[in-house]
Amino acid sequence: MTLPRHILGTFDEALASLRNNVLMMSSLTERSLERAMKGLFNRDDDLCANAIADDEEIDQLEILIDKDGVAILLRFQPVASDLRHVVAAMKLSSNLERMADQATTIARRARKLNQHPPLAEVELIRPLYEQAMSMFKDSVDAFVREDVDLGRAVVPRDEKLDELNRSASRKLIERMAQDPEQLRGYLNLIFVGRCLERVGDHATNIAEEAVYAAAAEDIRHQTAAATV
Amino acid sequence: MANPHPTVAERVERPAERPSTAEPAPPLTFEVKNLSIWYGEKRAISDVTLDVASNAVTAIIGPSGCGKSTFIRCLNRMHELVPKTRIEGSVLLQGQDLYSITVDPAIVRRRVGMVFQKSNPFPTMSIGENVVIGLRLNGVRDQKFLNERLEKSLRMAALWDEVKDDLHKPGTSLSGGQQQRLCIARALAVQPEVLLMDEPCSALDPIATAKIEELIYELKTQYTIVTITHNMQQAGRISDYTAFFYLGKLIEFGPTTKIFTNPSERQTEDYITGRFG
Repeated sequence: MTLPRHILGTFDEALASLRNNVLMMSSLTERSLERAMKGLFNRDDDLCANAIADDEEIDQLEILIDKDGVAILLRFQPVASDLRHVVAAMKLSSNLERMADQATTIARRARKLNQHPPLAEVELIRPLYEQAMSMFKDSVDAFVREDVDLGRAVVPRDEKLDELNRSASRKLIERMAQDPEQLRGYLNLIFVGRCLERVGDHATNIAEEAVYAAAAEDIRHQTAAATV
Repeated sequence: MANPHPTVAERVERPAERPSTAEPAPPLTFEVKNLSIWYGEKRAISDVTLDVASNAVTAIIGPSGCGKSTFIRCLNRMHELVPKTRIEGSVLLQGQDLYSITVDPAIVRRRVGMVFQKSNPFPTMSIGENVVIGLRLNGVRDQKFLNERLEKSLRMAALWDEVKDDLHKPGTSLSGGQQQRLCIARALAVQPEVLLMDEPCSALDPIATAKIEELIYELKTQYTIVTITHNMQQAGRISDYTAFFYLGKLIEFGPTTKIFTNPSERQTEDYITGRFG
């Protein structure tokens, strides 16, 4: 739904700027995660270093989005869909910043793994990576396109990611018992898996915010609420 | 017996313990049904149906000329002071038809008081006389009773402490915000059931506005209040229900939190977000 312009042009400009910064932060976070994982799969330390370097810019964008969001609340007192979008943008930036932290952790673990002979078990991580990244991209898409159905569809996909992580961890623990010399390597892969599982959690949060921003519907913790 | 030291989990309101979504309907002060009003040939209000909850603040919002003032004036038959007005539909006050031929408009206006955009204390009267003039016109002569009602009304209007030593001074000697509160005290002195307010803060500075807003919040425990405002933030702050009018029609009516977070109608969204008006 395209809304007409506000009577106050500066309000439109402020909202557009906030949105652009969220989009910029999303694409930097996506790039950072891709670089960290390629650094792992391709054993490329330079890519790992780039992923770690991206984090600083992402942190700065988080600060900027918070500052601009508060300024919009203060100056324009937005209501209805405008209010929801400002609140959602600020929450998105917080989730994106934590995702970028996971990318940094993955890159650091990858650099440690790259110092030793390659492990075939790194391929156990690939399905997690693909699942987490598709959830991330769809959640941001749901926010950008105000696609409530897509946002809603992202949430249950987190269970599959959790299952993939549990399965990979089980196999890696078995390998640890069979090949104790590579214990540190397997342990690092387990940590990478856990990072990707957290990326999925943040993607779920973003998808929930996307639904709230577009439809004013709070879909968080619905399973938990239903069982109380 | 309730646990005197509940855990955080025990203090959290659980969904299962919440009342069902079908909340009981609040008691109503006004029931407006299919109301249309004409000024001569011009139809100012078209087929409005709206219930005004008791002991709550209902805000009427909408662009200039949308029929807000006409609507609230018909709640105490004030619009009849304009020649050639015609009305269709019904307005019930506590279940009684305000437009029944057996109803005296003067009685209606005593039950439903009104405060206007611009404060209008009677210029030749003192502060005290301004407050009790309604009672005097209704034949009250008991000075003790008048003094008691004077103090009570000024206290309710949060003005007593500021004027108690100057009751003999002209009403017009007060500041704009004080004059507006004096007018509220004047409206309260006859003990109405409802207070209608037509942009009561539009001529006031932010401090005086805050005082009136706080007063409205306190008064709603005893009165039903219907107020017009052009200030969206004010409507959000002070009202429990909001009605959006456009071109004489009621576009949307509902709890203020709903209207200002997720309006159902596109026109409401466009208006409150400042996309037209």
